[in-house]
Amino acid sequence: MGLAAPAWGAMSIEFLVSRQNPDGGWPYLKGKSWTEPTAYAVLALIAVGRMEAVARGIQWLRSTQRPDGGWAPQTGVEDSTWVTSLVCLLPAEQLGAAVHARGIEWILRTTGQESTITFKIRERLLGNPRSPESQFPGWPWVPGAAAWVGPTSVAILALEKQNRLKSSSEIRKRIDEGQRFLLTRMCQEGGWNHGSVRALGYESRPYPETTGMGLTALRGVGVPKVDLAVNVARGFLTDCHSADALNWLRLGLMAHGKMPAGYCPPEKVAYRTLPETSLELLVIATEKGHGLIWG
Amino acid sequence: MVLLSSCGKEVPIVPSTVSIVRAPAYDQSVYDTMRRMLAEHQLDVRGKSVLLKPNLVEFEPESSINTNPMLVHAAFEAFRAMGAGSVRIAEGPGHRRNTLDLADAAGYFKTIPGFEDLFTDLNLDDVTRIQPTRQFSRLEKLYLPHTALGADLLVSMAKMKTHHWTGATLSMKNLFGTVPSGIYGWPKNVLHWAGINECIADLHKAFPRQFAIVDGIVGMEGNGPIQGVPKHVGVLVAGSDPVSVDATCCRIMQIDPFKIGYLRLSSGEVRSHITEGNIRQIGEAIEAVATPFELPPDLPALRLEKA
Repeated sequence: MGLAAPAWGAMSIEFLVSRQNPDGGWPYLKGKSWTEPTAYAVLALIAVGRMEAVARGIQWLRSTQRPDGGWAPQTGVEDSTWVTSLVCLLPAEQLGAAVHARGIEWILRTTGQESTITFKIRERLLGNPRSPESQFPGWPWVPGAAAWVGPTSVAILALEKQNRLKSSSEIRKRIDEGQRFLLTRMCQEGGWNHGSVRALGYESRPYPETTGMGLTALRGVGVPKVDLAVNVARGFLTDCHSADALNWLRLGLMAHGKMPAGYCPPEKVAYRTLPETSLELLVIATEKGHGLIWG
Repeated sequence: MVLLSSCGKEVPIVPSTVSIVRAPAYDQSVYDTMRRMLAEHQLDVRGKSVLLKPNLVEFEPESSINTNPMLVHAAFEAFRAMGAGSVRIAEGPGHRRNTLDLADAAGYFKTIPGFEDLFTDLNLDDVTRIQPTRQFSRLEKLYLPHTALGADLLVSMAKMKTHHWTGATLSMKNLFGTVPSGIYGWPKNVLHWAGINECIADLHKAFPRQFAIVDGIVGMEGNGPIQGVPKHVGVLVAGSDPVSVDATCCRIMQIDPFKIGYLRLSSGEVRSHITEGNIRQIGEAIEAVATPFELPPDLPALRLEKA
């Protein structure tokens, strides 16, 4: 079941606040609190200064950090996953410096399974050639699986923010590798899908949402391939009616200063989940110069 | 028709009933065809909760990727007419996050009145950790959505398609859509690392109350399940045993069911439920509707040899 489409601005904020669970977290739609919608909601509400709701959300996130420093998608799930990167987009001073630092450490020691030593040795012993697409380590949705565009993009954003606050060669290295990962996973026509460039020799097509995410994570990278992705993103912007995709496209184009002047979102955009509402607030805040996404 | 048990005693096999019904096109006649087909299976769904699980993959309404919405609506109406306490629709696509937008693009909003209120996004549903009765894959744990686990009858409404890794994607492979991406991501790549065939067999065991309906009106051949081309067969295939239903679909597609890994894993000690003689066929005969599907490029050996 979806949500009533919120109007822009103030009503979206009230809508989001009204959906906070008693435990301080947010659901995707309704029901138990999940990490992803909570991280997005807290980011969005920081941008608009709703600090009481933010404090309760932060408290929920602090209480759900796992012993390994990461976060699970939902309490009751026993593994830390990509949502750790989303939580680490939150300012360290709000999340708590130690909590944030442990999250960053989790991100730094996580890679797609294809980049692990064990996997590389196994492949070498089996005589399998190394795919050019797996040269650079990205991030998986879930440890133990391969790296993909979505989690890699969010991990890069979290590390970029951290590196601006406190630069380190280790962080810089993972950002560079992650951005190379994204460039090798770009579809031939430009843009990204979930991260599969071709399937059995057939070229795969890009998706709007992951094209926006990829471009956002490549902010500051000026290579011709990025221009190709920008063109694809601008094309999607006129055709796409999906809230999540549109808002990632806007962020991606803003990251490269390529948002069309005077752009107005289509009227019939349905907001299906709370993260979509939060993301829209974040886009508005970013347009106003707020650095919650890229620091 | 006997199965030798481990103690050497002969135990009779109860044949699975599978129906093949002609349905030439996605038009109003599908509603009557569906009602008649389900009536033949004598399902007692009175007062029970039924969950229809179509296969939604991509934003391409003109292609043969997704289960046709008219067929899902026909099943919805038929189960309600049979007295089901509730009928809902649910899916958790593996690549695209915006499930309802995908359903909208696939024509579900237009075809099924009040669709949004009837639908659950299984990717974002609350989950429970389950322990399958028998484990085939390397998955150490499996979280599944409450909506799917709680249904009295899970109706897998798959599309008849070839699949470049498993050979064929039918009602059993369609259960990948019950695995929540909110936990496992988009794609649900953990299932690939743990063994696709083995994970399909695990999921089959995890849902003991199933019914399968395969949309073979227009299927997909070649490099399926996404980049293949439409293949008109003009049939619906259905039954309470997904293993037998999928084995029958394979025979219609001229694919050898004994070469499909998940069917072999799920079919018991002597492959009882994929053996043609152990399936009670109703409706059309396989030979009357069989048509060779072009196989995925790397899987030519799957072709069913003539007896």
